[in-house]
Amino acid sequence: MRLSDVSFRYARRGPWILREVELSLRPGSVVEVTGRNGAGKSTLLRLLAGILPPSRGSIAERPAVVGYAPDVFPVDQPFTVAAYLAHLAGIRRIPPASGTALAERLNATHLLDRPLGDLSKGSAQKVGLIQSLLAPPGLLILDEPFAGLDEQTRNELPVIIGEVAADGGAVVVSDHQNQLRDFPGAGHWLVADGAVTAGDGRRPRRAVIEVTVDAADADEVEQKLRADGHATRRIS
Amino acid sequence: MTLALTRFKLAAYARSHRLLQPVFALFTMMLIFYSTTVPDGRQLTSYADSAGLLIVVFAWAARGLLDTEPAAQRVVSMTAAGGPGREVRAGLLAALAVNLGLAAIAVALPLLAGFAVLPSSGDLARGAGLHLLGLSAGTALGALTSRPILSSPAASMLVLFGGYLGLLLLSLTPAGGFTVPIMPWMRAASAGTLDAVLLPVTAATLFWSAAGALAYVRLRRTRP
Repeated sequence: MRLSDVSFRYARRGPWILREVELSLRPGSVVEVTGRNGAGKSTLLRLLAGILPPSRGSIAERPAVVGYAPDVFPVDQPFTVAAYLAHLAGIRRIPPASGTALAERLNATHLLDRPLGDLSKGSAQKVGLIQSLLAPPGLLILDEPFAGLDEQTRNELPVIIGEVAADGGAVVVSDHQNQLRDFPGAGHWLVADGAVTAGDGRRPRRAVIEVTVDAADADEVEQKLRADGHATRRIS
Repeated sequence: MTLALTRFKLAAYARSHRLLQPVFALFTMMLIFYSTTVPDGRQLTSYADSAGLLIVVFAWAARGLLDTEPAAQRVVSMTAAGGPGREVRAGLLAALAVNLGLAAIAVALPLLAGFAVLPSSGDLARGAGLHLLGLSAGTALGALTSRPILSSPAASMLVLFGGYLGLLLLSLTPAGGFTVPIMPWMRAASAGTLDAVLLPVTAATLFWSAAGALAYVRLRRTRP
């Protein structure tokens, strides 16, 4: 898959979100996308998925089967998990029970009879992941997939990503939390100032700083830092 | 894929109970239209009025259906169906299917209670045809006021009802021939001259409905 001179803006006179992006994505590759909030990560993912057409330039050789998991799964829908997955399987022309094995793997079997509206954030994220994997994807796009997941699923997801890649699928993951930092061979795209900078598995140099704040302000400071695209870890 | 996605949208619409709003509006209007029995010879006039006045109900139903899916689900549906074009087409198909059902009720109900005498098969066909014109215009208006195009619910309702009133008023003026000719078809049916204007009325309504639908499809390119 190749992005050639791709630029995008939402309106004819609106600001450019991305400019002259040149990227290639090989089958079997795994790429982590990072950048500050509002930098254009989700727009890039939607261009890759074929949801948005480029305002300029072209995207070629997109795989036929694309799996996409949004950053926040939409639970405001009048279906049980099983009925929802059966509908999505029907849309993809695969057997209605295709989601069952994935639900077992992600420890979500007990959710199948639950209404979508009753799901917690982490459970909803699991349903989003399951629907994106219903058909073996040639391109799998995951927007902040680790947010809210329990530890078991958090550990299982890189394994699933590795399997998709081993089967020849390309995987693109937007990931604030750097959960793929140890994923072997993962590439890295940094979205900033309308440009996308590709690094072949090498991360930009990082520094660790220690910030001491009042305990009452800790949550707020942590949220601000994460919103700016920084990884944080609470020590005490 | 498009048909399966259409079924998914219809199921979501029915389960969300949003369908009840236009159904209640339809039955309320039916009660008003047929509160007194329509005498023989006036059946086509009643059908023409019903088709013109129900455009706003058809628009409301289409808007409600297209607003049922959350924005993130529309994106998921686009990738599952194999492209945004299929999701947009499935939405329009589902809206047309709902409005066909509402139009069928509007045509059939007065046959059971409302008309003193059953209309001739010709008038029944003309009445059904006028309702098809009404639902095509209503579906296009509803699509253009749905959430992906107008994100504010207040603005959307204002444009939907204002747009319908604008169409009605404009069709009263000499420029009426250049818009959806609601009043001209009502007047012609009342005067018994519908056949003389049926072709231009059909052509104008279908042209504006298609233009509205194409504008919706075009706008959805950057409004998933």
